[in-house]
Amino acid sequence: MTRFLSAFFANRTARPFGVLVLIVVVLGIADDGHDRVLTMSTAYNVLQQFATIGPVALALGLSMMVGEFDLSVGGILSLAGCVAVITGSSSPVAGLLLAAAVGAFCGLAQGTIMTWLNLSSIGVTLGGLLTFGGLSYFLTGNTTIGYDRLDVALGVNAPLLGIFSIRSLTAIVLFLVATLVVSWTRFGRDLLAVGSDRRAATIVGIRVSRILIAVFVISGLLTAIGGGLLSYGLAAASPTALADTLVPGAAAAILGGVSLSGGKGRPIGIAGGVLVLSMLRSGLTAIGVPPFAHWIVTAAVLFAVAILDSEELSRRVYSFCRAVGRRSDVHPPNGSSILFRQRADH
Amino acid sequence: MNSVGGRASEKPASVASRLGSMHLDKASLIQGIAVVAVVIFAVSTPGFLSTTSIRSLLTTVSFVGCVAVGMTFITLSGNIMSFSIGASMSATTIVFMASIALGLIPALILAFLFCAALNGIQGWLIGFFRANPLIISMAAYSMIIGSAVYITGGRGVYPLTNKADILTANLGPIPGPLAAFLFVAIAGQLILSFTRLGRNIYLVGTSPRAAKAAGIEPWRTVLWAYVAAGLCTAASAVLVAARYRSGDMEHGIGYEYHAISAVLVGGTSIRGGEGSVLRTLVGTVFIALMQGLLILRGFGIELQYLLIGLIVLAAIMLQWKVRT
Repeated sequence: MTRFLSAFFANRTARPFGVLVLIVVVLGIADDGHDRVLTMSTAYNVLQQFATIGPVALALGLSMMVGEFDLSVGGILSLAGCVAVITGSSSPVAGLLLAAAVGAFCGLAQGTIMTWLNLSSIGVTLGGLLTFGGLSYFLTGNTTIGYDRLDVALGVNAPLLGIFSIRSLTAIVLFLVATLVVSWTRFGRDLLAVGSDRRAATIVGIRVSRILIAVFVISGLLTAIGGGLLSYGLAAASPTALADTLVPGAAAAILGGVSLSGGKGRPIGIAGGVLVLSMLRSGLTAIGVPPFAHWIVTAAVLFAVAILDSEELSRRVYSFCRAVGRRSDVHPPNGSSILFRQRADH
Repeated sequence: MNSVGGRASEKPASVASRLGSMHLDKASLIQGIAVVAVVIFAVSTPGFLSTTSIRSLLTTVSFVGCVAVGMTFITLSGNIMSFSIGASMSATTIVFMASIALGLIPALILAFLFCAALNGIQGWLIGFFRANPLIISMAAYSMIIGSAVYITGGRGVYPLTNKADILTANLGPIPGPLAAFLFVAIAGQLILSFTRLGRNIYLVGTSPRAAKAAGIEPWRTVLWAYVAAGLCTAASAVLVAARYRSGDMEHGIGYEYHAISAVLVGGTSIRGGEGSVLRTLVGTVFIALMQGLLILRGFGIELQYLLIGLIVLAAIMLQWKVRT
């Protein structure tokens, strides 16, 4: 049993689902028999949150899996929302497709710039974040634009089968497709290879630039679909409203087992990370904890994962234990040497 | 390798080369041309040379400028940027205004200590464990926003005293905030150019492993870089709080992006280890000039955001094209 548990928690993809079960149990106990946590409406809320955070987390997660970091998701999310609302009043589908095309184009532009000029993704996507954010200010004229199709606004969020909605089903489909692509296609294998060791990937003949550009196009596309549907659901597009998705998106991705150094993680794990975050948020709201707790919970998750994933944690813990004087109990960490070797590759 | 911003060279560095951000390479040349073009454009814009317009421009520059100087320390030390610097600035305005009843000096000391500690803790986590600086600063951002709402209930602090008004007064012909900004910038550049901490920041930013091999503990340098950033941010926070006579979580929104824009437009490398506060000063003034011009020529704020984004993108492309 312990062996099963340790194997389970060593698996980065399974870990978020274990955490999810734990959270449901803890929330159930904290609920104290009021039946507020395990209800249809909580499940619906969790899936709605999933639809909001999920595409962004998947986009960020894919860019981290390839060893980069796409900061521009916040900008693309706003821009896609504005494009969808402005152009989607006669045909919502056409508006969403246009928004998706814009998102993909943003990703294409950034990917091309960074591979062509050999730039770091953080720099380029920071510029992209500001540019796309600015573009959405420009499109909306710095105001909130209302969406005149209330039927669509209600439709994308209307409950289907009790707990789903068009938005959450779309997010689930995006995750399923991403899982299939990463696990069973050559592109997915190349993506993880580029993320694990870029030099080795080049040597075995993977076209690294193409993979990088493709990842950023997919990242833009996913974010844009999420942003377009979100703005339809809110019946409004505003350049500022969607800015706060970068932080929960990043939290969900790294909670889902994606490593910041690249090469690790699976879309299904990211889905688990998003579910953990959504469950925490909806569950805490359901048992009556005020909304600021979302921020603190997200912060705690990010701090914990950032420190656990840090390069020198094992070395620091080891030297701390030595200083305390329990030398016989502690073995030199094998992990730290691996981490140092990883560092040398970059 | 060029020698922008006090890189170690075999000759002992002269004062000029230590301060030397005016080193001529292709990127600096293009930046210089851009600055000259904007200045010519500015002078030819009717109304730009009026005292009121210049004064208001210089006052706005100062608020962003102090934060940008702080961000320069973070970027130079190899930690890209901090997402939490706007939130910590907002929180500091609240601390300052909540403690102003104790008197101006105690409130100032509290505000500076608070902001230095807030950023110093992040610097320690990032330096000591080598945790990812972006994730740590995102975590700190969430933590600050959540705690602030918990403590203040989401309301601002509006004290009924005018003890802080002295901070908005003029220093002779110079607006007070501008004087404070110039002081922060000069102090920042002096630290970078002439102290051991400054040299270590460049070294750690260029290569933490090399710094370690040279006997420097990188985490101490990173910690102090973040403390310096916190102090600069606190300067901006007290100025903004005094100006609006309130402490509010709204005050610092977006400052992290304005600050990193100024740093990058100035030409400081996002990889760390290359750049200077003087460059940030140029970047800050350049962006502010563009904004002032657009307003005078009758364009709305929405065009400003777009233009700043494009300028930052161009600045990033510029600095990297030179390298490769």
